[in-house]
Amino acid sequence: MPTLLGVYERPDQVAEVATRLRARGYTDLETYSPAPFAEVDDAVDEKPSRVRVFTLIGGLTGVVTGYAMTIWMANDWPIMLGGKPFSSIPPYTIIGFELTILFGGLLTVLGLFLVGGLPSLHRDKAYSPRFSAEEFGVAVRCQDRDVSEVDALLRGHGAEEVSLVEA
Amino acid sequence: MTPPPPEAVAAMIRPAPRRPDSRINRDILSVMEGASLGYWVLLASAVLMVHVAGAIWIYQVYEGLGIAGYVHPVFWGVYIVTFVFWVGIAHAGTLISAILYLFRAKWRNAINRSAEAMTVFAVLTAAQFLGIHVGRIWKSYFILPYPNQRALWVNFKSPLLWDTFAISTYATISAVFLYIGMIPDLAIARDRAVGWRKVLYGALALGWQGTSRHWKAHTRSVLHLSGLATPLVLSVHSVVSWDFAMALVPGWHTTIFGPYFVAGAIFSGFAMVLTMMIPVRRIFGLEEYITDYHLENMSRFLLLTSIIVGYAYASEYFMAWYSGVEAEQTSFWMRAFGPYWISTWIMILCNAVFPQILWFKRVRTHVPTLFVLSVLVNVGMWFERYVIIITGLSREYNPSTWGIYTPSWYELGILAGSFAFFSMFFLVFLKLFPVIAIAEMKELAIHEKAHRQGGAH
Repeated sequence: MPTLLGVYERPDQVAEVATRLRARGYTDLETYSPAPFAEVDDAVDEKPSRVRVFTLIGGLTGVVTGYAMTIWMANDWPIMLGGKPFSSIPPYTIIGFELTILFGGLLTVLGLFLVGGLPSLHRDKAYSPRFSAEEFGVAVRCQDRDVSEVDALLRGHGAEEVSLVEA
Repeated sequence: MTPPPPEAVAAMIRPAPRRPDSRINRDILSVMEGASLGYWVLLASAVLMVHVAGAIWIYQVYEGLGIAGYVHPVFWGVYIVTFVFWVGIAHAGTLISAILYLFRAKWRNAINRSAEAMTVFAVLTAAQFLGIHVGRIWKSYFILPYPNQRALWVNFKSPLLWDTFAISTYATISAVFLYIGMIPDLAIARDRAVGWRKVLYGALALGWQGTSRHWKAHTRSVLHLSGLATPLVLSVHSVVSWDFAMALVPGWHTTIFGPYFVAGAIFSGFAMVLTMMIPVRRIFGLEEYITDYHLENMSRFLLLTSIIVGYAYASEYFMAWYSGVEAEQTSFWMRAFGPYWISTWIMILCNAVFPQILWFKRVRTHVPTLFVLSVLVNVGMWFERYVIIITGLSREYNPSTWGIYTPSWYELGILAGSFAFFSMFFLVFLKLFPVIAIAEMKELAIHEKAHRQGGAH
């Protein structure tokens, strides 16, 4: 299938053209941005990122691990220290807190990798170093018969240039 | 619709004329290019000093902690002071990247990368002192909870265990923060590098292409990491302060220590960012990115935290007097007028008095003054920890056990080595990684451009 690439200068143009393309049924599209722009990312996929599930699971695992580890260890080989109960919640809260952050953070990274599809050895044909300069790209895969319509749509939203990256 | 005629397709495939690269890319990536003689001299002296300190440490392992200036009852000396100092320095980075991120303070973009790197290196430096301070390094793994033949577990009611968990969590999360934030910039470097650098950045950039899927997951992850790191920043130095506050030593056993230490940490962290970034910005011509406005904002933080620290000093004295506890009162009298009076007055002058000149805009925008002040604050903050730790210990409840501690040359050598260790990492970082968050600078630049062009924004 042919892939067309439109190059833009501003994020609002990309957001508009992506919304328009999706409305016209061209859903197989990809944008390239030099910096994060919420309007561009939401125009391609409006659902909030699933990374949050990972953070939540990590945080909960951490807090449970923190308390479980400290309480179990203190009772596994009970030594009386300063007359305090073996299962002392206040000091163990500190461990629970730290592990919440640690596991939450590490699972957030796992979430970034799984949800974002990183790391990846694949390099898109449409990608070029100009998108790590200051330009934006919209790559659309479409049927042969739709090439001219997509081309017109891309140009219609102020594309600086449109090229066929894959015939 | 019919496909376009072949000649039109051919014209579409023809490569577009090469456009100039982004100026932000060029300006910031140029910092990484080539190294002057001065750079190599600095790096070589840092590496040499690290080796000298390493040799001292090996001698200490052989000879024992007797080579330090420890005198009964002072067995926490320069090593612990320096540990607390470096953990404190580590606070600016995460504060800037996490808390200011959540507050949407856009001015952080110019300084967050260097501050985050300093955080990681400062924690790394601090962590060395946990090993240097212990008497038997070969048993230092006893601090970790692991199944062992003795069937013993660690004591989680001890502040030292809290410290272990706080510091290792902080080191991990700040390293993750630095790396995750840098991935888009590593892709920028990858697209422009040649040779071994292309391989390095290609591997580290993980195949980043800036697609909406990448950015969406990335912004969300950074948001969550910021949310997690915010309470972490505030907790780490609180936990460090509990190493002292949980003990019954006069001058230590106080509830003010948490906020007092956190404010001090942010104070010294911002001072260190200023100390490092003022020369960097000058040498590499980054005045356009790290502007006087950024320096002014940082100096406002210095002023605020200086006032908090000054308030903490005053309230410590007030509480000592008001409590009516003789040991506490003696301890604080001794601080100001006892054998350690020099340290105490350096601390008060550098941390609470000198920074008051930042009330004047003339001072906040005068870069050389800021630089000198930031160095003084670093000195003052080191002495603050010295005063708290040493004066507290040397004058405990029973006068017959009082003792005077003076740091030995070995300890001072390792202290100097810690600065070299930190500088060594920072110097290498300057030449290997983008020192300013390029993608975030671009975000601002593109927004501005879109506004100028009247985009629907």
